[in-house]
Amino acid sequence: MTEGMDAGRREFLKRGTLILGGLTLLGLAIPSGVYVLAPLWKRSEEEWVEVAAVSEVPVGQPTKIEFVRRKKDGWVTIEGRSSAWVVTADGRQFTAYDPRCTHLGCPYRFDAAQGKFLCPCHTAMFDIDGNVLSGPAPRPLDRFETKVVGKKLLIKPAVEKKEG
Amino acid sequence: MAKLREWLDERLQTREIKHALLDRKIPKGVGWLYTLGSVSLFIFTAQIVTGILLAMNYVPSPEHAYLSVKHVTDQIPMGSVMRGIHKWGASAMVIFVTLHMLRVYFMGAYKYPRELTWIVGVLIWLIVLGFGFTGYLLPWDQKGFWATVVGANIAEQAPYLGPWIAKLMRGGDQLGAVTLTRFYAIHVLILPASLGLLVAIHLFMVIRQGISAPPEREPRRPG
Repeated sequence: MTEGMDAGRREFLKRGTLILGGLTLLGLAIPSGVYVLAPLWKRSEEEWVEVAAVSEVPVGQPTKIEFVRRKKDGWVTIEGRSSAWVVTADGRQFTAYDPRCTHLGCPYRFDAAQGKFLCPCHTAMFDIDGNVLSGPAPRPLDRFETKVVGKKLLIKPAVEKKEG
Repeated sequence: MAKLREWLDERLQTREIKHALLDRKIPKGVGWLYTLGSVSLFIFTAQIVTGILLAMNYVPSPEHAYLSVKHVTDQIPMGSVMRGIHKWGASAMVIFVTLHMLRVYFMGAYKYPRELTWIVGVLIWLIVLGFGFTGYLLPWDQKGFWATVVGANIAEQAPYLGPWIAKLMRGGDQLGAVTLTRFYAIHVLILPASLGLLVAIHLFMVIRQGISAPPEREPRRPG
């Protein structure tokens, strides 16, 4: 007579234990999973660097600007010197080039007499808009994002991965 | 699922294992107080999981310890939850292992034939306290640092051997980088290995012997 009642009670407890235990495990497993997988959806964040006052950049003349770049590596911030070639035609629109040649990463220079960027390593040549004029460079000069805030020029010193 | 169970059972007799582990005979009168050991075991498991995950983002050096813990708490998604579980779990572990021990003591469950289970249990309790002590230093915050200074000073007060014990604990005359690394090694290598082993032995004995029945009340003697 009590047999049926006991069986019902047993089944109820069994299920209850499984459900509560399952929920508890999920409560532990879900945050753990998020924690472990977090790097997957973490965007690498390159920060804007203030490199110069707008007025300091000569119009029409490419200028190499050096700045200190802060890179976050986990809980560590690494400071490193970095630079960019900045060109402006009107003092309002700025273009910043990665100072490494797109061929093998040599630092190039601007030849004012010819009005061209010249790479000393393998004689790659670029015009003032960064286009390849001659030499082994596979693509135009890489660009950094720029923006003007107030009277300051800011650069985001990161190049998106490019084919080539 | 049923097929898989069948397949496994045919090869490994898993049904017997399940039977031995889960379908044990339980004496009459057993209640909530008898779950304290299982609670401790569960918290221990949670501590292992969260501890491993925290170790993925922790550096035991005076320069990085505090910042890496802060990074876990502020920057990593669910990092604060992981740290929270590990921190509160640590307190819960001490509390529940102690309660479990008190229950066993007051019910006289440590007596024949379970003396060995009790002895291993006491060692487990000591290891849990060791976990608490070494883990407290790892975030390298003011509280952990000075608590450990005090802890080492207390050890130093022991007669004769005290100064040596304190020096060994700190790895030198003063608390510093060496203390942090050795506390870390003890916390994540020595103690977990020892605790895992002892818990396995403890559980084996519990399962082998079955749990003790609650003590019977002596009938009140007249007079």
